[in-house]
Amino acid sequence: MDKLTIGIADMKMAQGTGMLVTYALGSCIGICLYDSVIKLGALIHIMLPINLETGRKNVMKYADTAIRETLKQMEAKGGKRARITAKIVGGAKMFEDNGGSLGNIGQRNIESVRLNLKKEGIRILKEDVGGTVARTLLFDVTSGLGCVRSYGRQELII
Amino acid sequence: MDIKSYDELNSLELDTLREVGSIGTGNAATALSSMLEREVRIAMPEVRIMGYNEAIEWIGGPEEITAGVLVKLSGQVNGIMLSVQQLDFVNLLLESILKQKIKEYIQLNEMENSVLIEVGNIMISTFINALSGLAGVDINLTVPAFTVDMQGAILTVPMAEYGGQSDYIMTIGGNFICNGKQVPCRLLLSPDIRSLNFLLRKLGVSDG
Repeated sequence: MDKLTIGIADMKMAQGTGMLVTYALGSCIGICLYDSVIKLGALIHIMLPINLETGRKNVMKYADTAIRETLKQMEAKGGKRARITAKIVGGAKMFEDNGGSLGNIGQRNIESVRLNLKKEGIRILKEDVGGTVARTLLFDVTSGLGCVRSYGRQELII
Repeated sequence: MDIKSYDELNSLELDTLREVGSIGTGNAATALSSMLEREVRIAMPEVRIMGYNEAIEWIGGPEEITAGVLVKLSGQVNGIMLSVQQLDFVNLLLESILKQKIKEYIQLNEMENSVLIEVGNIMISTFINALSGLAGVDINLTVPAFTVDMQGAILTVPMAEYGGQSDYIMTIGGNFICNGKQVPCRLLLSPDIRSLNFLLRKLGVSDG
């Protein structure tokens, strides 16, 4: 089976078969978008909640622009918005700091991803978000199932 | 002229930052040496400006488990400093200080965790003290935060913090050599762009 690796601020699609993998999601979020009828899957690895860049060069870095652009590309391949569903993984807080000086980018990412999916009319089927552990996400386009791997935690199928 | 992105640094500025890295790492090595009661030397200090995925490969792949100590800088210079400690380094510390070893990170107890945090914190503070003396700037440090997890995710903390400013991460840092062997511990300083400009002006290499 073809395995495609998705880096940070990146997105890849596969149709029919294929495994989409993204490693070590900390505060970042992996968003699986899937049209089960035509078995078209996309995995996005976003890093930040909102795109405030003037040039907007790197659309896949931000939740809002990445979700919009990916849906557009899926529709171009025959995906239907009414059938596309989402699974989201990540948004952890990697360091517990007492003063809270680091802010909580993970939590802001989770909220932005939920909000932007809702805006686009995409239903979230499963979530494994928050907490303090990093996650590696494998998304099987054949079945639409995701597998989440973490340090010191059981593998989770979503 | 102030830079707007890390990749705009010229060679004079990069040399200056390398020198900062050298002095900071040198001081941290002295501190480490006195804690271990062994000679510790430094390898060539590095200044790197890397794309996100390039940085993950450089540190040694995303999923490798490491211990990370993180300190946030504020005051006249804002940034994040990390001490990334691989298992061999953890054991070097535990053997020297507590006379014990671990096979896996999962075995770390409270006492051992505090050793890793304290050593990381001392190395970071020594580095920053040297920097603040050199440039004549005031820098405040937060109490250290600690985690054991995939190093890719640890490295994304400074990336995400300054990700709105740049598609690159900049690290100033160095490696240590102890008993003729490379010590698998990295000290990484990632300043934000505004602080970097300020620092370069203070060091007299920016014409702004």
